[in-house]
Amino acid sequence: MFKKKVTFKILLLLIASDILETAVHFFFKKSVLAQVNLSVFDLASAGFFLKAVFVSPFLWMGLFTVVVIFIIWSTVLTKIDLSVAVPIASFSYILVPMVSIIFLHEQIRALRWLGTLFILAGVIFVSLSSKERIIQAK
Amino acid sequence: MKEKLFIILSLIALTSFCDTVSQLFLKSTIDSLNFTPAFNVVKIFKFIFRLIITPRLWLGLIFSVISLCIWLVVLSKADLNFAFSADSMHYIFIALASWLILKERFTPLRWLGTGLIVTGIVLVSLN
Repeated sequence: MFKKKVTFKILLLLIASDILETAVHFFFKKSVLAQVNLSVFDLASAGFFLKAVFVSPFLWMGLFTVVVIFIIWSTVLTKIDLSVAVPIASFSYILVPMVSIIFLHEQIRALRWLGTLFILAGVIFVSLSSKERIIQAK
Repeated sequence: MKEKLFIILSLIALTSFCDTVSQLFLKSTIDSLNFTPAFNVVKIFKFIFRLIITPRLWLGLIFSVISLCIWLVVLSKADLNFAFSADSMHYIFIALASWLILKERFTPLRWLGTGLIVTGIVLVSLN
């Protein structure tokens, strides 16, 4: 039995998870950027670096957001199939580069955008294939 | 520059690998409990109790934490947009694990999708 009907409420939840997923990675990157003076080259320096990062409020905001996303997904997946939910939720692959340009001032060349589109298409195909397999098994 | 890219990609592979191991432990934890969704407070608490006394859950969580730590090190060395795209490598590890360990059968669509992800990661890394 397929749960395919994307209601407005589910769509909103999935868009929220896209945005929150992007926020998680932005928060994590922010927590690390505050420690530019600590570079990691061996296990001891990694220890110092992680100690500093784990007291950053940004890191904990990121982890809190992870929990919120987990709750959203637990709700969404009781109402709709994974093969339908994942493609809608994959737009963080576009949102993360956009946030990187706007808020982190990173530069992205055309080739990297092309690569990102390949990955996005790949993720959508992989998630659609889970539905295909269920149909074949019937 | 080439050497730095190699180190970053290796670290991303390592964090993706730990993430995959964590997912496998969590999947096997849930499967072993035969969970059926029920909105009954007593049942939910019983389920949570059985969950937290399952060692595999904790193994899964330990690998999640290791994966997070390596990920933070990656972010300190690479641009977010690159690291995030390259992290889709975990799709490849999960594909390999489900194929080799869980013996799942792959449809052509799934091979195509996994191939596109590999191509995408190569393109993203070329810059």
